[in-house]
Amino acid sequence: MNHTPLEDQVHDALHRRVDPLQHAPFSVTDVRRRARRIQRRRAAAAGVAVAAVLAIAVPFGLTATGPAQRTEVPPATQPPAPSIASGAVLVDPTSAETLAQTPVPLLDVDAPSLITPDGTTALPGPFSVLTPYLDGWVGVAMDEGAGILRFLGADGAVEDGGSPTGGLVGSPDGTRVAWSEYTGSAWQVVLADRSAGAEWLYTAFPPGPEAHRVEPVGFLSADEVVVRTFDDSLESKTYVIGSGGAAVEVTGLLQAESASAATGLVAGPTRITADASCSGAVNGAGTPVWETCEHSIGDFSPGGTYVVGTDPEADANGSPTITVLDGSTGDEVVTFEVALPRRTVGGFWSQMAWEGDEALVVRLFRGEEYDLMRLGLDGTVRRIDIDSAGASGLTVAEPW
Amino acid sequence: MGTTLEAMGTRHDRHSDKDADFSAYMAARQAALYRTAYLLAGDHAGAEDLLQNAFAKLYLSWDKVRDREALDGYVRRIMVNENSSLWRRAWKRREHSADTLPDTGVVDAYDDGMGGVLWSFVQTLPPRQRSVVVLRYYEQLSEAEIADVLGISVGTVKSQASRALAGLRARAPQSLHPHQPGDDVR
Repeated sequence: MNHTPLEDQVHDALHRRVDPLQHAPFSVTDVRRRARRIQRRRAAAAGVAVAAVLAIAVPFGLTATGPAQRTEVPPATQPPAPSIASGAVLVDPTSAETLAQTPVPLLDVDAPSLITPDGTTALPGPFSVLTPYLDGWVGVAMDEGAGILRFLGADGAVEDGGSPTGGLVGSPDGTRVAWSEYTGSAWQVVLADRSAGAEWLYTAFPPGPEAHRVEPVGFLSADEVVVRTFDDSLESKTYVIGSGGAAVEVTGLLQAESASAATGLVAGPTRITADASCSGAVNGAGTPVWETCEHSIGDFSPGGTYVVGTDPEADANGSPTITVLDGSTGDEVVTFEVALPRRTVGGFWSQMAWEGDEALVVRLFRGEEYDLMRLGLDGTVRRIDIDSAGASGLTVAEPW
Repeated sequence: MGTTLEAMGTRHDRHSDKDADFSAYMAARQAALYRTAYLLAGDHAGAEDLLQNAFAKLYLSWDKVRDREALDGYVRRIMVNENSSLWRRAWKRREHSADTLPDTGVVDAYDDGMGGVLWSFVQTLPPRQRSVVVLRYYEQLSEAEIADVLGISVGTVKSQASRALAGLRARAPQSLHPHQPGDDVR
């Protein structure tokens, strides 16, 4: 009979078993290789998960996956066309009705956190852009004034990234994202399926310094993305990157600001004269389609029906007005104007998000206060009544 | 949103720091954690796979784990969870191969035979019980620490350990019965 306690025998047995063990140690390279495999495996598994999430998301209309998801399941009957306001609509946050829930994903910079209709997710740091990718998110983290690409897991933890980025855009149908990243010697643009059903498409630009940035502007079709490039000159160049990965230059704009996958138009400033700053839209061949000297151009609505116009004289306080223009003609549809108390500065900030083709979610600055507003094209004005963790306030997570 | 060369340098330094920190941690803890992995997996190939996987996941989350004192716990958590998951997938296969003793890659000149017998029985324990046994009697973690690693309550740790010991007693030869059933778990 052995009188040693069984626990001690187990302890001894385990130690005797493994104490003499030797194995060839892994290198960091081995581990990095495995890490990439894990990411690929997660990507493959995430496809099914994303499909399930989308199926759930459809009834809500608008979720973190973007408004265009609603088109996945067409309604049985055509809904009545929403009434569109005309003229000017005054935007006064103090008298506006409130929304307890956000219609689009928001970022709370100070928390930091992501706020969606489904709940709040803590983030590992402040982000300027964040959008669903695989079973987590991809975003632009703010790092001492520079944008850093970050991939987050489903729990919000950083899984990968770290490259300097010129920005991130999502396709209106919600299936793809594109970003730029600096490799250390050159910029490249990456086009990726959110569900990772296909390999990433890389388009490399010639080697150059990081200051010669490449920034994604928007999608020109389901698989074409518009980017703008900068160098030491004052001019920016615009390129369309197609599904084959080739970059084709688009002329006609001083600098591309937005693109529409629905209409195939690219918009931005077209010319600056002694007394006007004009903007307009060109097609993929660079042919002018329309021009306005009354507004600077922002993002197209997902359906391409509308495009945002702001005051060309807007300053650091923002634009005093937002005018929704017809996306095909540049004609004014409805103007939203900030109601400011006397001796108070303020305006609409340029980072805003479309909620389908029906409304804009925009940050409004008045004096020392910020409000997040939903501006319906039917003339309705709502204040999104969600508290932020600090003075920085809330901003839209998907500014397109 | 221009970026200065100084800022670029800072980021490169940070990236290098990350790799250097991770490499230093791996070099310091790899041998010890490999032994834990071996006890969980039961063979060299499984242990290497388990540990490399855990290191890879740690690498992906390196910036998230701010408490460097907690790194071992993080790796152990990944390994036990991964091992349980692999074990579940291979359940049928392992059931059918239970008659075959696992590989005996280590020869211990001081083992009187009981160690080998106990080890072979530890390997037949269900994954959670086995994890508790390894963490409690090899790593010598407290019940609270095991509960944290496994994401279960302290009460569950106690009951799993108790069942594991009872199972070992039931399966082990009479000569290995130093105590009667009902003994407290350490």
